This record gives sequence, structure tokens and C-alpha cells, in this order.
Amino acid sequence: MGHSDGEHEHEVDDLSADDSSWSDGVWSEDDDEESVSFEDSGSGSGSDAESDEAAAAAEESDSSEDEVAPRNTVGDVPLEWYKDEEHIGYGIDGRKIKKRDREGRIEAYLRNADDAKNWRKIYDEYNDEEVQITKEEAKIISRLLKGKTPHANVDPYPDYVDWFEYEDKGHPLSSAPEPKRRFVPSKWEQKKVVKLVRAIRNGWIKFDKPKEEPNLYLLWGDETDTADNKRQGLSYIPAPKPNLPGHEESYNPSIEYIPTQEEIDSYQLMYEEDRPKFIPKRFESLRSVPAYEKALREGFDRCLDLYLCPRTRKKRINIDPESLKPKLPSKKDLRPYPKTCYLEFKGHTSPVNSISVEMTGQWLASGSCDGTIRVWEVETGRCVKVWNVGGDVRHIAWNPSPDRPILAAIVGHDLLLINAEVGSEEAQMTAKELLKIGEMAPQDDTDGKKPAVRWMNHDKLDGITLTHQKAVSKVDWHFKGDYFTTVVPSGDTRAVLLHQLTKKHSHHPFRKLPGLPVAATFHPSQKMFFVATKKFVQVYDLQKAQLVKKLESGLREISSISIHPGGDNVIVGSKDGKLCWFDTDLSTRPYKTLKIHSKDITSVTFHRKYPLFASSSEDCSAYVCHGMVYSDLNQNPLIVPLEILRGHSSSDGRGVLDCKFHPKQPWLFTAGADSVIRLYCD
Amino acid sequence: MPKHYRPAGKKKEGNAAKYITRTKAVNYLQVSLAIFRKLCILKGVFPRQPKKKVEGNHKTYYHMKDIAFLAHDPLIEKFREIKVHRKKVKKAVAKKNRDLADRLLNRPPTYKLDRLVLERYPTFVDALRDLDDCLTMVHLFAALPAIDGERVEVKRIHNCRRLSHEWQAYISRTHSLRKTFISVKGIYYQAEVQGQKITWLTPHALQQVLTDDVDFNVMLSFLEFYETLLGFVNFKLYHSIKVNYPPNLDPRLEALAAELYALCRYMSSGSARMIENLKSEEADENNNAEGVIEEKKDKKSKTSSKTDKSELEINADSIIEEKKDKKSKTSSKADKSELKNNADGVIEEKKDAKIKASSKTDESELRLALLQYQLPTNEPGALMNLIEESTAPDADDDDIKECKSLFKNLKFFLSREVPRESLLFIIPSFGGTVSWEGEGAPFNEVDEDITHQIVDRPTQSHVFLSREYVQPQWIFDCVNARILLPTEGYLVGRVPPPHLSPFVDNDAEGYIPEYAETIKRLQAAARNEVLPLPGIGDEDLDNSLVAAMVDRTESNEAAEKKRKLEMLEKQYHDELKMEIDGVTFSNLSNKKADLSDAKDDTKSDREDDENKQVEKDDGDISTALMSRRQRGLYKAMEIGKERKREKVELLKKRKKNDDSSASAKKRH
Repeated sequence: MGHSDGEHEHEVDDLSADDSSWSDGVWSEDDDEESVSFEDSGSGSGSDAESDEAAAAAEESDSSEDEVAPRNTVGDVPLEWYKDEEHIGYGIDGRKIKKRDREGRIEAYLRNADDAKNWRKIYDEYNDEEVQITKEEAKIISRLLKGKTPHANVDPYPDYVDWFEYEDKGHPLSSAPEPKRRFVPSKWEQKKVVKLVRAIRNGWIKFDKPKEEPNLYLLWGDETDTADNKRQGLSYIPAPKPNLPGHEESYNPSIEYIPTQEEIDSYQLMYEEDRPKFIPKRFESLRSVPAYEKALREGFDRCLDLYLCPRTRKKRINIDPESLKPKLPSKKDLRPYPKTCYLEFKGHTSPVNSISVEMTGQWLASGSCDGTIRVWEVETGRCVKVWNVGGDVRHIAWNPSPDRPILAAIVGHDLLLINAEVGSEEAQMTAKELLKIGEMAPQDDTDGKKPAVRWMNHDKLDGITLTHQKAVSKVDWHFKGDYFTTVVPSGDTRAVLLHQLTKKHSHHPFRKLPGLPVAATFHPSQKMFFVATKKFVQVYDLQKAQLVKKLESGLREISSISIHPGGDNVIVGSKDGKLCWFDTDLSTRPYKTLKIHSKDITSVTFHRKYPLFASSSEDCSAYVCHGMVYSDLNQNPLIVPLEILRGHSSSDGRGVLDCKFHPKQPWLFTAGADSVIRLYCD
Repeated sequence: MPKHYRPAGKKKEGNAAKYITRTKAVNYLQVSLAIFRKLCILKGVFPRQPKKKVEGNHKTYYHMKDIAFLAHDPLIEKFREIKVHRKKVKKAVAKKNRDLADRLLNRPPTYKLDRLVLERYPTFVDALRDLDDCLTMVHLFAALPAIDGERVEVKRIHNCRRLSHEWQAYISRTHSLRKTFISVKGIYYQAEVQGQKITWLTPHALQQVLTDDVDFNVMLSFLEFYETLLGFVNFKLYHSIKVNYPPNLDPRLEALAAELYALCRYMSSGSARMIENLKSEEADENNNAEGVIEEKKDKKSKTSSKTDKSELEINADSIIEEKKDKKSKTSSKADKSELKNNADGVIEEKKDAKIKASSKTDESELRLALLQYQLPTNEPGALMNLIEESTAPDADDDDIKECKSLFKNLKFFLSREVPRESLLFIIPSFGGTVSWEGEGAPFNEVDEDITHQIVDRPTQSHVFLSREYVQPQWIFDCVNARILLPTEGYLVGRVPPPHLSPFVDNDAEGYIPEYAETIKRLQAAARNEVLPLPGIGDEDLDNSLVAAMVDRTESNEAAEKKRKLEMLEKQYHDELKMEIDGVTFSNLSNKKADLSDAKDDTKSDREDDENKQVEKDDGDISTALMSRRQRGLYKAMEIGKERKREKVELLKKRKKNDDSSASAKKRH
């Protein structure tokens, strides 16, 4: 490619003249290389007659000068290799091409400054020459830089010209013959059809909609045949019907059914289960009643109840509660029994712990927390005697023998035997005789062990002191008045002691007891002995010295015991307010248990003559019951509660501390914690 | 060896063999829990309470026989078939086999419950006995909107409405309604059919509140059975009064959604003929019906109404049944000019409906609106004067006679705002004639013979002097009292007297509301039996009436009874007097007496206490001998009694407070 200046000039002319060739719409010239390749292909196709046209076109195009090979022939080698050489390569003829002399900078600048076309000049390093770009070329470059087509006249989206002509071409694109399958019925289709036909014939496929039968008819026809009308299967338990609405559910209830605001607020304090589910509301007129928001929910809940709740038949007792009460014989028939308070014995200053009535029924002895023992005349309520013993009197008991007016009283660890100094002179004398201890000799019969009890004279009261090792709780006389027993609850093997007054002798026959002893008492007529521990009552035969019976009370803690004068029946009071009646002939378990008191029972007692028994309790009341024991063994004892005696007031949480019957009259003495003794008469 | 060891090869015994837990039962039946639940609901199988719960206390136990009963039911096989069918459809759809899917969907397996109804209720009376829940449920669903998400379809709701109306029509026709009560929850009705007392609850005719804490599957299972049951019961009942079932109704009235009215008319016309000559009669009947249609065609055209509201209506019509479409077409043919006056009311209603409906966008809501639009007009109206008394007089007992003649010769007219459905049911069942404002009504407001107009608005502007304007509660109270109560308290604009529940036995409850006593006295006066005491009625609304009745009656009462009554009354009187302090002579004297009484009281206070104590002791003493179990029972009963007494005390206290505050207000 001879790129001389002159050639350039020519080129410029050529390009400018060739404007029309651009406008042809065929853009054959693009870049040097492309045009070259085009040229190559054209030349590659040889000098065929067909390619003449193309060659002509190529010649027509202004790229003919591209055919001119570059001056330099070194090829595509880095020009750095020639950096230090004088030449830049070799010409076609093999001669060196000398490098041009370097212009001085100043000269070059000056030249450039003078030359207005300088900006179009480019230095071609390969050929070592300066090339000037024509205006058109510059335009093309600027267009390329903008991302447009190099030539402005190019239409980027020309209409597509389909070169193939279809019209009047009477032949297909493919000349293959139609396959046979196009003319033969499909085997698989036939199979499918056969299947369907068979299904239709056999009635597996039905097309007409099923006929709607009348689905309602007279279901319950003739109901006279009762055999068919039995429900099969298990017994049907109908669901309980929903509750019917009350007045409060009305849309306009009476005013009294509407809770006040405070009441509604107070519902919030209740437990959620206790809260009323429905709060009545009042609407002035029917039109203001809104839809009930829980209607659906309640319907649903009812459904759940119907199918999820287990159903059982429950017997609903719809009876008057009064009919549950046992039919009792009329009280009038059971008279006499103590009913009303007749006398009050006042004098003590502290709770009266214990009382005892003398056998003749003339005298009453009482022991109190204020440290005094008093003897009262029953008829008048006059206090006859007072002894100051200097300590709590826990328990007191008259000697049952009428000719021995002796009182046994418990003060702490001691048992005092006192001459009561009532009754006839003769009796008083015998009592005095009895209450003297001759010599101390018989005391040391125990083998080196400390004696359980020491008998001593009490000078001040002119009686006897039995000093126990531990605190004593109860004393009880044998009916003949010679023997008596004391109970030392914490005494272990020496808990229950038997004493003989005439011989001034004590011993402890019961080494082993089932639990702590609470009370002990003699049989009223036989040689039997009862020891009540906390849960059991042991019955001993004193003569044979063996256990006869063990009564199981089933109570939590026995507090007192009393034996029926007949001897076969025992009542036991407990600290949980229950009273057990044992019929020892019947069973070792209670014949009847009465839950009558709300607090501890302090004392129970039988009347000696009348079929009565009584119990006193810390709840300030005493019960009087009718307890008839029949001589006929087949007939069970009759127990009828008769009367609740009240009147004592509570002091320090304690109520009635003791109760005793008059030996001859149907009278009851009660000793209260309010330091009063009351006499209840018929 | 453990206590419960069962040697191999030995069968289980006792409770372990008799009862089965739910999980085990489901496994035993080889069904899903949902199907088991549905089976239990349909078959009426419920858990039982074994004496000993072998597998723990927290489980539900079914009786083995019940489960075997389920296992042998063909229904269980049917449910399996349905499951299989559903799978087939799903598969066909998944394989894009449209044909198969369509074919399958066209013939789903179906089952019938008639056998189950007969199995559960071998006699008709059994079915009646268990009808309470059924009726309540059907009536509840009749008031519900169709819910798309919950599979509550319009068809079912329409069916419920139809069934409930058929039931009401029967009750109203046979005059067997006994008690009604408007509560906050809805309206309770009690009817007596074949000696069975049947109580049901209908919700207020308003849009129901839908909550999402409800499992509709369970409810729909129940409803399925109840619908069948009620259908058969209705059939039997209609058969018993010689009316065809299912009734074919006057399409016009049905279209107007006045189904109950249509039903009543149907029954009245149908009752005359015997079922035996059914076919020929039916033809006649159809002719008659056509005749009727033609006669009233002019009235019908009301519905044609105006074009501007047509859009909604068209929607409505397209959704509602075909018949309605027909109707609107026919009505549109009719001439409009005559009817404009009459049409006003209807138009108004429709407008209301339109407003309601237009505010809603959802399709389901639109449907709801349509239902509601139907509802108010759709009430049981009944032309009782059209109904001839065909039943033999000897069949009626006193109760029915009383009910039948309560509103005899009275003509009622219902205003727009009153709950029409219930009143159209109640009034005819007690022998009254009723009409309403709207289309299809037998007579309109200007009718001269109307004796009572039921109104529920603050004021009534235009008043006919010939009739009384009362609030709807009057009807309900009259029905419960079985006498015509004086209307003074129920007039327009007044706050009506308290509405009391007829289901409460006041004497057993221990507290008698004031108005109940008033009613009692009125009843007695109406029966000429008891001489009411004058002078108590200051606060009574109907003193004059009582007095009038007193004049007529003679005191032929036994002296003892009278004295007793007097004593009670006096006590009550005194109490009242103490609270009302107008200074009158009688009051002064009373006060003096009271003062002296008070003095005595202080003196005798202690004695009273003692007496009380003695009485209490007398009671206590016999409890001492009871066994522990009996004592427990006794105490529980006492506690129950005590609670009841407390309740009564509370009511009395509130009453007293209210009275005193009212009197205080009066004074100021």
C-alpha cells in the first residue's frame, strides 16, 4: 500500500467522489481488515466467471488501495526489536528502510502549530510515516465513538427480503410419500374405544345423571308393633337438655336481676370458674337488642357436649333434706333428762378442771386451776369447804363408798387423799383412820429400784400424798372404795398404777401398753379393768391378770372413757369431737360413732340409774343423749341425742372441761373454763 | 405375680374388655379420626364412663359394643368409598384427564341417613323427645350467612330455612305453641307436640356474629343428621294432619320469600282434602294456585319496581333460585301504573337491602345480603281467617282451646321495624290474624278492622284511633300469661314492664318478681277465682282493670286461704310503706306501730337469738346419728339451699335499693 502524500490526496478525492457508492445501501467497506478479508475471499475463489461480478464490485469499491502492501515487510514482530537499529525493516525489494531523521521538538512544534490539519495527522510507527485522516474518516471515527453506525445513511433495520419465491411452486418441500399409518385406523385408539364400549355396556360408565328419589317418606309408619320399636344395642342415655332460661336472661329483666357496677367489678376478683357466665343486661326496647355474639359458639359447645362428653346415668336425689334425718323417738317419751340450767356454782377464779359428785348426791367437789378444791352443797349451791393445795388441780374423785368421805385429787406429780369432813361423824372417823400411815416399812419391797409411788402423810391437809415420779393425769376409784388407779401418761412401764387404800400399797401391773395411756377405769361390778390408750381401749381381767379384749376405736386420739353401769357398754370421747359407743358383746369396733362436737371432747359420762349419757366439749356445749341398753342381747342399744346444753362461755379457747351426772337424779353438772359450775335439771 | 397378671391365652375381662379408648377405637375401625368423629355424630354414639378406667383417668372411653355397632354399619364402608372417590378425582385431574374427572364428579358416592334416624329413634315419640337440639341448630343455621371458606353452602342454609318454616307452620297450624320468651340470646319457643315439650331457640333476626373458634366440620356433621331428622319429623307431622309433604308452595309467595305464609296457606287449603285422592286433588290445587296467582298479579308487579335498582336485583336474581327469576319476569310484564302507591313499602325495603348489599364487595357478603333481604320478608305470615278449622273439636284438649282462642277476633298489623318472623309465627298460632307492611300481605295498614298495631319505635306519628299501638313484648307476655294483658304499659314510647321468663317456677325459686305477681292477680281476676286485694296496686299499671274485675267478682274464697293471702300482702304492704314516705295518716299510724315493734324487737332480740339457737340445735341433734355419707349429702343439700337463699336475698336487696332510690327521686 503506497501511502504517499499524493496517494492520500487521491484517496481523499476518491472518497469524496464516491459518496454515491455509500448511498447504495450496501455497506461493503468497514475496516481495513474486513475489507481485506473480503478481498481475499474474492481472490480465493479464483478467476471464475461467476466471481467476476464480485471482483468488479470490489474494484468499484474504494478500498482498492488497500491492496497496496505495507512498505515494511518485517511482519508482526514487536517494533522494539528495531529500536536500536537504523532501519525499521525491509522493503519488498529487500533493502533496508531507513528510519527518518528525528525532527527537533521545536521544529515539530512549530510545524504543527502552523499546520491547521495537524489534529488529523497520525504517526504510523510501523511504516514510520505520518498519515493524515480525511474528514470523512474523522466523521466515521466520531460516529463510532458515539456508538452509532459508521455511516450515517445506513438503515439498521431494513425490511427482510425473502429470497425464496413460493408462488406457483406446485411441489412440496419434501417429496417423501404419505406413510401407511395415515390411512389405517389406530390400534390403540381402537383398544381404548373397546374398553369404553365395554364399560358403557357393563354399566361401569353412566352418562345420565342419577335420578333423584324422593328422600323423605313416612319413616315411622305403624307404631303399634312394639317388637320392632326397640332400640338396638346398648341402652341409650339421652343427653340432658340445655338449661331453660331464667328471668335474668330476658332482654328486659326486672331491675333486681341486673347486678350493680360494683358487683360486676367484684366478679373480676373471683376465680374464673366461679365467675357468672352471663351478666344480665337491660334493653329499653326490642329494636335495640343486638345479635348475640356467642350464638355460634354456644351452638358449637352444645355439639361438643353431645358427642364428646361421657354419659352416665346418675341418680339425682330430689328429696327434702329433712327426710334424710333418722326418725327419732319422741323426746317426751325419754324424759327425764337435764334440759335447763338450774344452778350456778360460782367461787372459783380460774377454769374448773374437774368435778365429782359424792355418792349420796349431797356434795359436789371441784378442782380448779386457781389451786383450790371446793366442796359444795348440791341443793343450795353453797360452798362448804375450801382447800388451798397450791397448784392446778387436774382431776378430782370422791370415794364411791358412802362411809368413806375421802377425796382424791391430782396436783401435779402428787395425788392427794383428803378427808372431806362431810357426812356422819362415824364416817369421818373412819376416813381419818384410813388417812394415816403407820410405818414406812412396806415401801422398800422394790429391789433397789426407785418406787413408783411414795406414800406420805400430808400434815397441812391432814391427808396422804402419793408422790409419783411424773405428772399424773387421772384418778379413778374402784366401786368398793378401797382400790384406786392413777394414770401417768409419760410413765412408760409404770404408766398405770393400782393403789390400795387400806394397805397403803401400790403396784403397776401393766408393763406394756399399745401407746400412751389416757385414762383408766374399773369395771362397775366385776373385776375388770379398762385402760384407754390413744387409739385403743384394753380390757383386762384383774383376777387372771390378762388381756380380755382390745377395742379399736378408729379415732385419732381418745380423751376420755366411761363404762355403762351394766359393764358391757363403753363410751369413748375423742379429741376430734367424736363419741364412740362400744357394745363389747357385739364387737370390738364401735357400734355407733356420733360426730356431735366441733371441738375436743373433754369428758364423757354415764348416768348410774337413768339410761343417759353425756359428753362435754371445748366448743362450750354438752350433749345429753339417751342410751338405752336392753337386757335382751338381740336388741341393740338405742341411742338418741336429746339435748344440747349451752351456757358456758369460752375462755382462752376452752369450753366445758368436765361433766358429771348426779348419782340419783337426772341432773348434770358441768364445769366450765369460765370458772363456773352449772347444774342442769329436768 | 402382679395383681393384674393375665395368663396368655386368657381373654380380657371386666372393664378392660368392655371399654376401649378412643385412639384404640379409631385404630380398630381403621378410619381416620375425622371419619370416626362423623360416624359417632351420625350414629349417636357417645363415650361412656366405665366404673374403673383401666388405661388412665384422662382418656375417653367408648363401650366396646358401641364400637362394634359402628364397625358393622354400612356407613363406614361408604365413607371409605368417598375417600377413594376423592382420590380418583384427584388423580384424574393430576393426569389432565378431564373427561374422567367430570364423569367421576358427576356421580359421587352418596349415602342416606333415613336408616340411621329410624335406628336411633324407633318410635316417633323418641324423635320428638330429642328434637330440642335439632331445632335449635337448624334455626341457628337458617340465620347464618353462607360461608365459603367453611363449606357452608347457600343450598344448605336455604334447606334449613325451609325446614324451620315448615316446622313453624305446623306448630302454628295446630296451635301447639305454649311459651315464648325473648332473651338476649334469641327467642325461645316451647311447643307441645304429642305430649312432648319441645323447646328451641331462634337467634334474633340480625346478622350473626361469626367467630373463628368454631369447627364447622363438627357442626355440619350434626346439621346433616338434624336436617334429615327434621325432614322426616315434618313429613310425619304433616301426614298426621293430612297435608302433603313436601309442600309445593305458591311460587309467588315463595319468591317474595314469604315462605311461612305460603306454607300456612298451603296447609289450610291442603288440610281439607284426603291424602288418598292425592293426584286428582293435586291437579285441582295447581289450578287453584294459578287462579290465585292471576288474581294477585297486579300486586306482584310491585317487585318489578324501577330500573335504577335493577342492577343489584339482577345479581340477586341470578343467584337466587330459578323461580325467583321467573317471578320477576312475570311481574315485569304487569302494568306498573296502578301499583305505585302500594309498592312504596316494598321499594323502601328493597332500597334498604340494596344499600346493605352495595356496601359489601365480597361475593359471600353479597349472598348474605341476599339472604337478609329475603329474611325480613320471608316470614311466616298466615291468614288464619283463611284456615278453616278442620280438625275435629273433640281432638282439642283444653290447652289447645285456650291457645286457639287467645287472640281470636283480633287483627294485628306489624310495622316495618318489628321482628316479623317471630310474630308471624306466634300470632296465628294463638288464633290471631296478622298482616305486615310489605308485599304479599293479606291486608294493609288502612284496614279498619285492625285492632292492634305492633310498633317498636319511639313515637308514632299517624295514629288510628280504632286500634291500639303496642310494643312487640305485649304479644309475648300475653302468650305466656294466656290472657290479654292491659296494653297501657306497652304503648308506644314507653319502657315496657319487665319481660319475665315463663320457664321459671317462681315458687320453687323462692322469689316472685313484682310483675309476676301482677300478672298472677290479673289471671286470677280473669278466672274469677281469687279476690285481689285492693290498695296494693298503687304501683301497678293496671289498677283500674283489677278494680273493675274485682267489682265483678265475688269473694267466694275459703276464709283460711284469704287470711293467709292477706297476711302476706300486709307484710309486703308494710315493707313498701316503710320505703315510701309520703306523710299520710295511715303511714303515721303505721310508723307508730313500727316504732313500738322496734322496741319490742330490742327486748326480744336475745330471746329470738336463743330461740333460733334452740331451733338450730333441734335440727343439729338428729344429724348426730346420721352416717357419714348421709351427713355429707345432707350438708351438700343444705349448702345448695343456702346458696339459693342467698340469691333470693340478693335479689330482694337489689329490689329494695332500687325502690328506695326511686322513691327518693320522686321526693326531689
